[in-house]
Amino acid sequence: MSEIIKNPRNGCALHGALKTVQEIKGAVPVIHANAGCGVINYFAGKASSGGSSRYSGYSVPGTAIQDRHVIFGGASRLREQIKNTIKVVNGDLYVILNSCESAMVGDDVDAMTREIVDQGEPVVDTLVAGFNGGEHYGYEHVLADILSSIDGVKKSEKNTDPKLVNIFGIIPGKDPYWQGNLEEIKRILEGFGLRVNTFFGPYGGVDDLVNAKNAALTIAFSKWGELPAEKLKEKYDIPVLLRPSLPVGAEQLRSLADSIAGSIDIDKDEVDKFLAKEEAYERDLLYRAREDIIENDLSATAVLVGDEEQVIRLGAFLTEVLGMEIYAAVITDLLKKDEEHKSDNIEFLKNIAGNIYITSDQKEIEDIIRSEKPEVIFGSSLEKKIADKFDIPIIETSYPVFEKLILNKASAGIKGEISFIEEYVTVAKKFKAEKKSKLLSYIKGEGRESSAETSQTVRNVRKLSLVTG
Amino acid sequence: MAEKIGKHIAIYGKGGIGKSTTTSNISAALAEAGYRVIQIGCDPKSDSTNTLRGNNYLPTVLDSLREGNKIHLEDISVKGFSGVLCIESGGPVPGVGCAGRGINAAVTLLQELHLFEEFKPDFVLYDVLGDVVCGGFAVPIRDGITDRAYVVSSSDFMALYAANNLFKAINKYAPSGGAKLGGVIANSMKPGYHREIVEDFVEKTGTSIAGYVNRSIDVQQSELYGKTVIEAKPKSAQADIYRELAKYIARNDDLVIPNPMGVAELKEWARTWGDRIYDIENGVVGLAEAI
Ligand SMILES: Nc1ncnc2c1ncn2[C@@H]1O[C@H](COP(=O)(O)OP(=O)(O)OP(=O)(O)O)[C@@H](O)[C@H]1O
Ligand code: SF4
Ligand SMILES: [Mg+2]
Repeated sequence: MSEIIKNPRNGCALHGALKTVQEIKGAVPVIHANAGCGVINYFAGKASSGGSSRYSGYSVPGTAIQDRHVIFGGASRLREQIKNTIKVVNGDLYVILNSCESAMVGDDVDAMTREIVDQGEPVVDTLVAGFNGGEHYGYEHVLADILSSIDGVKKSEKNTDPKLVNIFGIIPGKDPYWQGNLEEIKRILEGFGLRVNTFFGPYGGVDDLVNAKNAALTIAFSKWGELPAEKLKEKYDIPVLLRPSLPVGAEQLRSLADSIAGSIDIDKDEVDKFLAKEEAYERDLLYRAREDIIENDLSATAVLVGDEEQVIRLGAFLTEVLGMEIYAAVITDLLKKDEEHKSDNIEFLKNIAGNIYITSDQKEIEDIIRSEKPEVIFGSSLEKKIADKFDIPIIETSYPVFEKLILNKASAGIKGEISFIEEYVTVAKKFKAEKKSKLLSYIKGEGRESSAETSQTVRNVRKLSLVTG
Repeated sequence: MAEKIGKHIAIYGKGGIGKSTTTSNISAALAEAGYRVIQIGCDPKSDSTNTLRGNNYLPTVLDSLREGNKIHLEDISVKGFSGVLCIESGGPVPGVGCAGRGINAAVTLLQELHLFEEFKPDFVLYDVLGDVVCGGFAVPIRDGITDRAYVVSSSDFMALYAANNLFKAINKYAPSGGAKLGGVIANSMKPGYHREIVEDFVEKTGTSIAGYVNRSIDVQQSELYGKTVIEAKPKSAQADIYRELAKYIARNDDLVIPNPMGVAELKEWARTWGDRIYDIENGVVGLAEAI
């Protein structure tokens, strides 16, 4: 029934929901769980590249339930905690996140929420027990639950704005570049003459959640955006556009614009003008990078490791623009067997990679890399060890990234495309330089005392001579 | 676990089958015979020891735990008939919280309070509620808390079904140190085929009968006085039945791991008995031939 996953890169549903709520300005999470549940998420996040979110660390409001709350029920402890939280933390919306414990004990959280809502407080609740699913499940369910109950606690008229779009599917904290990507996709959609509910980060907030019903279209940029998008469709009849991934490069921007035009009215001239500008910008910078791209031999063979959206986005770019060959793609956002999603992106994946694997187990991923023998890896810091072992470069594109701070750098759109090229060339150059210095020191006879190091250098030299012919 | 002080016996059985009545009478009979006895009611209803202590108020272990004060053994135990130490685990109000976890926590707390070291019992009887519905209720037969379980059953199918479920739990936990089965206590026996049904059941499941307890008006009467039969009607035949049963349980070290029937097998077994009873009631064949 159960198996061990080595170094899993996904937390539980509660963690996904917590990450999500933490990044909505004005929303306050209240965890109904034992103390450890929230803290694990904190430690996992801390080790990674995204900085600290709002209410991070030990300061997330929570019930910290104990044995007696399991025995006698934790509902009254929750009531106390919500009241205290409202007193000490200013918020526009309080979101109760229910864990495994509250689900198993069967606390009547709905009744508790109704009671507090009746007193005029904006509170919603959601069940994101870890046994229900992983982090991605937590993201889609907390959003869907908030969107289905927010009307009851934050009343407003529905007033459809024909230029307003909702965007979902970019999970805060789960893509190291989520913030930059949100900003970039917002910039692009605004370039098309649209207005955007981003929900997360400095431009988002509870207002976006309230306004979501006024949008003319919802775009889901990964399968994880589907559920909240469908919820809005069901409640407010807002059409849904399902995209397998964020766009990267001008050509994909055009395809996005075309598919949006298929759903709502956008000003064709405005879009064309914007795209022409973007294309010129892209051409200009790629042209400037041309020698670096050629000299550093970027068109190598690769293995890609990441969530499905990242793999599709990056894979299409690497194969189509850089002409790389992707031996294998490893998809790390696992679907549970009984989870239904409309999006079926297997055709996209087949066009990208020779072999497709689905796992988030570090050992399995290492075995895949070992057998595929790529010249470069695009993945997370967890793949660094195997990259070092095989002496190949690794470009960190998916969660977790350990030795960096990434705030608003993008990996999608045009800006993301350019900074991805920067990153790739930088890693390749550094890798080459290190090899060269290793070779030089070997020739000069340094470090020959250490036999382990020598044999490593000899291997490097052999590989290098193969590369240089 | 440390060396066990006394014999620890869990009593299971379908709801309302007579667990508390039978357990209390066994406790009373053992105490009367000079043994040191503790009876722990593992049931949120907290009515297990009523007839041992004349229905007097006794705060439950979990009531004290809920209040969060420091708990002393004196606060949650009282001596009843013949010095039987009465304890009720208690539990959450119906529909809230987790009673299974509650029983688990109460038993753990009693161990932490060194109940057994202090009282030095010869026998500890755990009167466990209803069917084994989830892991929480199997706690007394798991983890080495008790080493033997008895199940109270009548000849009714649902009572035997519950007994069979308990057998499944024992079967699962006994190999890793859980309790084994001491036997089936056949309760509410009336004249007719009732004994035969239970006897057939124990034979099929590789178990045995610890004793037969008749259905008797003495039991109900004593209960109304807030007493066990042993206390209220010490000279009655029913009191002697309980004394016999207590003696058997005190001596019996013949513990088994039962072979529970599968669901289909149990249904099939019940069906054949259904046919036989029909025939008996309608005088198609005589009882002797039916068996
Ligand atoms: N042998 C008997 N003769 C007559 N009445 C009996 C007999 N055994 C039990 N009863 C009666 O059956 C009723 C239920 O018994 P008791 O409370 O002991 O059952 P229980 O199994 O402990 O129930 P619960 O599962 O609710 O705890 C009581 O009123 C009791 O007096
Ligand atoms: S899986 Fe359950 S118990 Fe574990 S952290 Fe998540 S909510 Fe808490
Ligand atoms: Mg009882």
